[in-house]
Amino acid sequence: MDHDVPTTREIRALPPAAALLTGGLLTLIGLTWDVQWHTDVGPDTFFTLPHLFLYAGSAVSGLASLTAVLMTTAARRAGRPTDPAVGGAPVGVFGRVFTAPLGYLVAGCGAASFLLYGLWDQWWHGLYGFDAVIDSPPHIGLLTSVMATLVGTVVVFAAAVDQRWGRIGAIVSLAVLAAFSTITVVAFETISRPVNAVHVAMAGLMVLIVATGAAFTRFGGVLVAAALAVVQAVSWWFSPWAAEVYADAVGLPLRDYVDGVPVMPALMPMVLIPAALLVHPLLTARARWAPALAGAVAGALVAGLQVVQNSIVYDFPTPAVSRLLPTALAGAVLGLLAGHAGTRLGGALRHAKGFPTDESEAS
Amino acid sequence: MKRTIAAAVTTAALLVGTAPAALAYEPVNVVHTETVQAGPYRVVVGFSTWPVRAMQSLDFTFAPDGGLEGKSGYLTVVPAAAPDVAWDEPLARHPRKRDVWGLDIRAMPVAGDYTFGFHLEGPQGPGEGTLTGLEVLAQPGPPMGLSWALSTLPLIGLVAFLAIAWRRHRNRTATR
Repeated sequence: MDHDVPTTREIRALPPAAALLTGGLLTLIGLTWDVQWHTDVGPDTFFTLPHLFLYAGSAVSGLASLTAVLMTTAARRAGRPTDPAVGGAPVGVFGRVFTAPLGYLVAGCGAASFLLYGLWDQWWHGLYGFDAVIDSPPHIGLLTSVMATLVGTVVVFAAAVDQRWGRIGAIVSLAVLAAFSTITVVAFETISRPVNAVHVAMAGLMVLIVATGAAFTRFGGVLVAAALAVVQAVSWWFSPWAAEVYADAVGLPLRDYVDGVPVMPALMPMVLIPAALLVHPLLTARARWAPALAGAVAGALVAGLQVVQNSIVYDFPTPAVSRLLPTALAGAVLGLLAGHAGTRLGGALRHAKGFPTDESEAS
Repeated sequence: MKRTIAAAVTTAALLVGTAPAALAYEPVNVVHTETVQAGPYRVVVGFSTWPVRAMQSLDFTFAPDGGLEGKSGYLTVVPAAAPDVAWDEPLARHPRKRDVWGLDIRAMPVAGDYTFGFHLEGPQGPGEGTLTGLEVLAQPGPPMGLSWALSTLPLIGLVAFLAIAWRRHRNRTATR
């Protein structure tokens, strides 16, 4: 590359990526806080402080994405070559009206979708009231929109795979995605027999994300699990504390019979680090069947032991092993698919900035 | 940088400072009542919306004669149409009306007749009573199938993106 020719590296890859991840973290903070608020305190309006964190998180992510897309578009229109390390391989949008780095395109679409589903949610609450149901249709639309933004964030950092901050950012973003995803599986709560569908779906998502990390970088799976444990530990302290402090600030009492369990952090599987360590050799083996087998083992462990975690956290008797087995088996089947898919996606993530010919093809 | 930090701190201070004004929680307005005799205790059950519709949330209040002092208990809720989703919970003070028990902004999940069971302990000993035949009308708004179809579009988009990324990567690596 001719070093005299300015490229979009001028806008520097790190600041917009950091802004994107900050938006994701704000959203995660808002969500853990909001879930705890409903459990420990209760009353809801559209403009509670946890809600403002949720909205601000998506706004920051959306604006960071928009900025990166517009700057890349401007560079392309000025005839300067684009640098795919800034957010990923360039993609033409609306023909060639805009040129969007892949990661920012996905993240920005998620943020725009969040805005639309926010309006749908507002209409929904106008009709149905402010019952704190996490798995209402608009809420699932909002949550999956945020997941799309977080997937875009992973791609943005993965595009800078040659930089240490890119690899670290991708791992942290995968952990934030994993932490955030735990609440979406609550949508399967009505299916509890013969298998606990929440725990099976949780296992599938966790294995998918851990396998993606493992295929992306050395010890990536274990690092993602460790980063999720950090998120869990911090939010375990933060969410009940923030709910109580905020309730005091606005003069509301805590509910009677508050059990003090941090609801969303308690969903995050504590067995993920040992499971990721156990299957690490298989996940990184060359044999084609190995990642799938690793996924099956990890899936069975996560799905089967989630109820044990719940029994410890919520202090109820642990069910008999015979009752755990169907869920563990279903977790193994979904984990098998997730292990295979995650390894492929992790491989694709290594090429988030495209193959060497992408630049010439896009030009 | 200093300016950015100052702006962020000012914004946070404004948010926290104005939070009480923004949080104008509505009072609990009871528009309909029913009475339940639970042993020696008379309980007035209040509803903030009447009639009750499935999925539409409202405030329920449960006011025993003589107040809550020295009394405790739990509530069972049994929908006739779906007894498998019946639940029980302790009678807790309503967060916005602390002198009575209640359910704040709660929706009944399905339409049909409901039974509310009250199981009390108090100065006059235990007492049980039920409110039967509480009719919950059909949910308002569009059919749930349509709502879910609209709301799963981001998920479908996300899965499609991951599938395309996988396919393109496989094709590229296969040709190298």
